[in-house]
Amino acid sequence: MTHTTVLIIVFFCALMIAVSFGIGVWAKKKATTAQAYFGGTAMFGPLAVGLSSMAGIASAFALVGVPGIIYTSGNAMAFWMLSGAAFAMSYIILGKKVRAMAEIAPISSLGDICDVRFNNNHVIKALMSIIICLGCVGYLAAQISAGSTLIAQLVDIPPIVAGFLIFGLLTVYTALSGEVGGLLSQAFQGFIMVLAGLVLIIAFFVVTGGFGPVLEAVSAAGEVTGSNGVTKVMSAGLLDAWGTMPGGISLTWMLIPILGCVGQPQCLTRMYAVKSPRDLPKAGLVTAVTHTIVGFLAVVAAYAALWLVATGTIDPLVAGDQAIYAFADYLGIWAQVLVYAAVLAAALSSASMFLTSSSTLISKDLTSALGIKIAPEKQIKVSRIFMFALGAVAIVVSIYSSEMVALLGTFGWGTLVSGTFPVFVMGLLWERCNEKGVMCGLIVSFVFNILPLVPGLGFAFPSALPGYFITSALAIAVTVAVSLATPKQKLSPKMDAVMKL
Amino acid sequence: MNVSKSKDLIAVLIAALWIACIVIGTVGSHVVAMVLGVGLMFLHLILGVAKNGVVSKKFLIYPILIWAVLWIVSFVLSGYYADLFANTAPTFTILGFHPSFAPTIFLYWIGGQLTLNLGHYLLQDEWLSEKDWEDFCAEVRTLEEVK
Repeated sequence: MTHTTVLIIVFFCALMIAVSFGIGVWAKKKATTAQAYFGGTAMFGPLAVGLSSMAGIASAFALVGVPGIIYTSGNAMAFWMLSGAAFAMSYIILGKKVRAMAEIAPISSLGDICDVRFNNNHVIKALMSIIICLGCVGYLAAQISAGSTLIAQLVDIPPIVAGFLIFGLLTVYTALSGEVGGLLSQAFQGFIMVLAGLVLIIAFFVVTGGFGPVLEAVSAAGEVTGSNGVTKVMSAGLLDAWGTMPGGISLTWMLIPILGCVGQPQCLTRMYAVKSPRDLPKAGLVTAVTHTIVGFLAVVAAYAALWLVATGTIDPLVAGDQAIYAFADYLGIWAQVLVYAAVLAAALSSASMFLTSSSTLISKDLTSALGIKIAPEKQIKVSRIFMFALGAVAIVVSIYSSEMVALLGTFGWGTLVSGTFPVFVMGLLWERCNEKGVMCGLIVSFVFNILPLVPGLGFAFPSALPGYFITSALAIAVTVAVSLATPKQKLSPKMDAVMKL
Repeated sequence: MNVSKSKDLIAVLIAALWIACIVIGTVGSHVVAMVLGVGLMFLHLILGVAKNGVVSKKFLIYPILIWAVLWIVSFVLSGYYADLFANTAPTFTILGFHPSFAPTIFLYWIGGQLTLNLGHYLLQDEWLSEKDWEDFCAEVRTLEEVK
């Protein structure tokens, strides 16, 4: 990459960070109450909610990791990326009930909903906060690590400097403006991702001629060995529905992202951020259209890299994660600018989402579950300090401890599903779901999320399916079984009204 | 369709389908497990759309049932053509896509969007009308006054 190209990329990335920072600082004046600061409760219209939901869901992994997986092992991962229907499904399943909770109590966090539904049960709230926090911190560390490495390699500076420059600024504006600034800046970053997606999708069709020529080239290529000594084995099977991975992976990557979307904090918290629940169908359309573009970008980037390798235009990639960059490098400077900006936008949007979520969970929900009382007027100040501290620690740990990033990386989407489904999905859809059931479900979730990581134990599920899938299924089944086996609990009249809505 | 008296049964079915998906997925019948997965999502959608236990017939047919059929057909076709062209190049394509992947694009992805997202938008009153919301808010206000 030439010096001029690097300068232009850095300029646009810096501009994007500056605009995000400006949005965050401007939004501070709106974050005056705990409900606004922690939840942005009932403050936003469908466009902001839709764009920010997409940006929160589509992390740097979606733009870099997903094309890499499709390049390496075929289409199974496409089930995950082409999952735009998940948002409507989530809103239909839980949208009106979550939003209604904000009418019967001052809701500003997931812990508040948990309190109202399960009678201030501290065990449920503490377990839920810890499990969700594991997932959120895992995501946060991965975004910081990816974003810092990306820029550090580009401009040849130490990753810790890049980390503090990018994510330090993010921490400042997120801590100042809370969920209000977080949501608005995510909406802006989502727009950047969509813009990059549109340009690169058009470029894919212009350059390759479409999916037919890619399939033809990949089917005919066989084994390709480049001048770099790397060999890529190609076959038509790579581009069938399942790719070269076992079929169980396609099952997991269809079911967990689609149904599991309703259990993600990026989705749940946005349901009470809308002004009216009747905005959710419109937000669903915005999210669907934007996610369609960004998801399709991930797929076409992988297909383009496969085509470039199959036709001998470039050498086989040393690592699958280079797929989107290889395509951008082939297209030239403006594609490179857009791809770098989009990847950074994806990392920033997910990082700010998970920074606010995890700091709210720890400084507000977990503390109250443990009986630590913080005066309401001091809550925002305490959380701000906590967010600064968490941001700084996360940057240092993400960059200096690759083992910790790898460990935290095992917690993510699936962990969040196993921690949220018993409380929110079963809890808000099924009146019979009771405290004992949810407690047992969460204990199962907690134990099976942690058990595989205990050194020396060698615990593994007797299945080729990912552990988070099995953990989620067990947590939900236990929640249902124990709820039915224990006495029914009476709901408060307001809670009953929510359940009937 | 009134599901208020069937909610316990639906919850049991949800638990059973989660377990069935991991068992059947583990033994290698992933297409069957994906079809069961559609059933699992269907049950959640039924519980989510029910107002006072009643599911709108209109909303049940479109988007929910049409979506479910599209996805089941998509997974079955993907499995059929993946088996048919295993270890060989396909003899035809559908708009350039591998015949096994084309159902993912047209039925799972585009079909899923046009049913669930568009259906939710077009039939939003069946899910939550302005009146439903106002009635709910009024009920909450009344309960607060009583308190």
